[in-house]
Amino acid sequence: MPRRRPKGPGTSSDAVTHSAANANDIAERLDAARIDLSELLADSHVNEVLDELDGELIGLKPVKARIRDIAALLLVERARKQVGLIGGSPSLHMSFTGNSGTGKTTVALRMAQILHRLGYVRKGHLIAVTRDDLVGQYIGHTAPKTKEILKKAMGGVLFIDEAYYLYRPENERDYGKEAIEILLQVMENQRDDLVVILAGYSDRMDTFFRSNPGLSSRIAHHLDFPDYLPQELEEIAQRMLQGMQYRLSVSGAAALHDYIPLRVQQPHFANARSIRNALDRARLRQANRLFAQMGRQLTRDELMTIEGEDLRASRVFA
Amino acid sequence: MVSQAERYKSGVMPYAQMGYWDADYEPKDTDVIAVFRISPQEGVDPIEAAAAVAGESSTATWTVVWTDRLTACEAYRAKAYRVDPVPGAPGQYFSYIAYDIDLFEEGSIANLTASIIGNVFGFKPLKALRLEDMRIPVAYLKTFQGPPTGIVAERERLDKFGRPLLGATTKPKLGLSSKNYGRVVYEALRGGLDFVKDDENINSQPFMHWRDRFLYCMEAVNKAAAATGEVKGHYLNVTAATMEDMYERADFAKQLGSCIVMIDLVIGYTAIQSMAKWARRNDMILHLHRAGHGTYTRQKTHGVSFRVIAKWMRMAGVDHIHAGTVVGKLEGDPNVIRGIYSICRDSLTRQNLEQGVFFDQDWAGLRKLMPVASGGIHAGQMHQLITYLGEDVVLQFGGGTIGHPHGIQAGATANRVALEVMIKARNEGRDIWHEGPQILDQAAKWCSPLRAALDTWKDVAFNYQSTDTADFVPTATTA
Amino acid sequence: MRITQGTFSFLPDLTNAEIRAQVDYALAQGWAIGVEYTDDPHPRNCYWEMWGNPMFDLRDGAGAMAEVLACRRVHPQTYIRVNAFDSTRGFETTRLSFIVNRPSSEPGFLLKRHEVGGRQIQYTIESYAAQAPEGSRYE
Repeated sequence: MPRRRPKGPGTSSDAVTHSAANANDIAERLDAARIDLSELLADSHVNEVLDELDGELIGLKPVKARIRDIAALLLVERARKQVGLIGGSPSLHMSFTGNSGTGKTTVALRMAQILHRLGYVRKGHLIAVTRDDLVGQYIGHTAPKTKEILKKAMGGVLFIDEAYYLYRPENERDYGKEAIEILLQVMENQRDDLVVILAGYSDRMDTFFRSNPGLSSRIAHHLDFPDYLPQELEEIAQRMLQGMQYRLSVSGAAALHDYIPLRVQQPHFANARSIRNALDRARLRQANRLFAQMGRQLTRDELMTIEGEDLRASRVFA
Repeated sequence: MVSQAERYKSGVMPYAQMGYWDADYEPKDTDVIAVFRISPQEGVDPIEAAAAVAGESSTATWTVVWTDRLTACEAYRAKAYRVDPVPGAPGQYFSYIAYDIDLFEEGSIANLTASIIGNVFGFKPLKALRLEDMRIPVAYLKTFQGPPTGIVAERERLDKFGRPLLGATTKPKLGLSSKNYGRVVYEALRGGLDFVKDDENINSQPFMHWRDRFLYCMEAVNKAAAATGEVKGHYLNVTAATMEDMYERADFAKQLGSCIVMIDLVIGYTAIQSMAKWARRNDMILHLHRAGHGTYTRQKTHGVSFRVIAKWMRMAGVDHIHAGTVVGKLEGDPNVIRGIYSICRDSLTRQNLEQGVFFDQDWAGLRKLMPVASGGIHAGQMHQLITYLGEDVVLQFGGGTIGHPHGIQAGATANRVALEVMIKARNEGRDIWHEGPQILDQAAKWCSPLRAALDTWKDVAFNYQSTDTADFVPTATTA
Repeated sequence: MRITQGTFSFLPDLTNAEIRAQVDYALAQGWAIGVEYTDDPHPRNCYWEMWGNPMFDLRDGAGAMAEVLACRRVHPQTYIRVNAFDSTRGFETTRLSFIVNRPSSEPGFLLKRHEVGGRQIQYTIESYAAQAPEGSRYE
């Protein structure tokens, strides 16, 4: 519909028929339009990010599947917009639940890139914070702190790790509630400016959402990050070693294979991080072993190799 | 160089053998380096010519003298260390000469220039000689005051950011009475310009005494400031016959509350440095008109390139310098002008042979010099001016303001609107080089002074062959 | 009258979209954004009240625009301007500064002339607005 009547001669009914004719034209054009999703997909370069994600993270099959679902939904939303169908701006806020070291932060970064390439966030950067970045120590401190973080995150994704710490009902002088209220406002009213991802351990996130139904109702996608399977952890360990330019001997590989299931059962298991720590300790033992053989000439291969004894010295085998 | 015993036997010897040519010399970080364009006479060897220039601009004379042995002559000799033929100009050579820092007095342009150009330009074995560029070591730069205000402080004093500044020179150049002169200043400032300017030859003549001019101009400046809420200024020309007179005029300008004064290049390097010191002590912006430079900067083969003058002026300490417009009525090849602007404005000027800049120049924190573009430019060229010259520049539209068909205020408004609308469009990401005329036309729809300005001057262009262009052109690379 | 301070004062008042475009340009250059307001527009009054500290590390202009709009809501009858600060060496100053809000009536300035010796006059500019106390200058 034209916003103003065209000036000059012409009755009001002329103007109305004129605008009706216009609308018909547009509808016809849209009906005749054909959308090629594969073209849209190629143009957005989203597949590159998805492939990178596949390559970067081992396992996480359900998470990767879910991400592809979301990407498909957003792509189709874009296509619908192109032919004039309205769907309202989809809610994109998410929660990532799972134990430590399961890849939540890495996936959040990739998610920011995907959203950017599909045109849902303007700049595609990720700001990762915890409660302390958002909540102040005294009255009046919280709002400006939270707002500053939000302004920096606009145009991208705000990732709040261990989000449940925002809510401390047992401490009446706790200012986390203020931060939650500001977040709720922004998540509702500025969906075009910011996407929020809340992350943490599953059970604690459940409790958190139950006490804050306003937050939970604004989350469109819940992604659960399962713990890695032992084979997956072995693969992760191999990749890490490759990256550090080490290799396992036959006895080393066997030791690793035995080590992992034992470690998983120990307390404070943090998935990929725990594997990383174990490998670092093995490197330390390898270094000491080689040091003890001072006087001998060492080959490049020996400097690179982790033997079974370097791993078997671990406490878990006791 | 020949052996010691040979070197100091009486008689005449080629300069190249006296030690003024040394192909293996590595210039020190503390050396002053000059590059000259040498056109030797027929039959004169270019290396010998370069060595002669080095010699005659440092310690030599035309015959061997025993008194050299009383000095550490090795150190004081300038060394020509490189001679390259000029591309596309047979018979011309670029020669690089290094001078020890002890040859120069601290903080003295007069001494630097007396040394480098004082003796050598009339030398018979050379058909022509041009000083193309100089590299001043940080150690020497640190002995100079540099611009008393500089671009950053000037903008903060005026509280004007994000766009070029606008000025105009009062026209006609000569003859107005003081009251009429002040009227022109008031109208232009009221209409939207930031500055108006005395012309270089307005000093104190029978038709207008300097004191009267200052009084009426400051009335105009203050009235316009109150009418617009902006800081306004008029460059009061304090050029006079003697330093004493200049100080008297400058002090009066300060007393009357002006924020800026101007001087002409013809007062000489010593006077310019004195005025720079005065300006710093008195919180005054110092504008330099480059009067007379064209007599020696314009021909490619002989003289001093303006980029060297600009360097000396930044060291001596002026805040504004006329540096070319590219598209106006005065000489200015786009690449050469870009090189000059980068010498004025950069904290670190980079070598760029296509722009005629031969050396990297670290400016050692010397404040930045605001270039001034003045001479035959008008609002219709705004997109070209901004593209060529950038944002830190004073654009002066003398005729383009005062010659406006609807009056001076309209002329000023047309220029100011054209400028703001073009900067706004550039910031929004539009291609102002190509869309400039449309952007101006769109603004002219609601700004009738701009419409009139565009209509009056749309066919004006000054398309002549530049006499001073760079010698290095980019060679096409195979794709 | 209409004071003509700031980079775009000779153009019609900028729309929110146009302000946003300038903010995006400043952010693209890596500059920080500050919002300031005042009720005394004297040309030598360079310290306007800060609406919060300047905002650093913004990747997108939405947050800065929100502050501009918030300042307008709270101080509708003041001059408000947006500044962009550049911290690079050789600049370390404001690079862009433009007005985004004006009071509905701008009374302007009085030019006071104080005659001293000879033909000399000492000039002072006074804002008409500043003759009323702060808070009641633009009713």
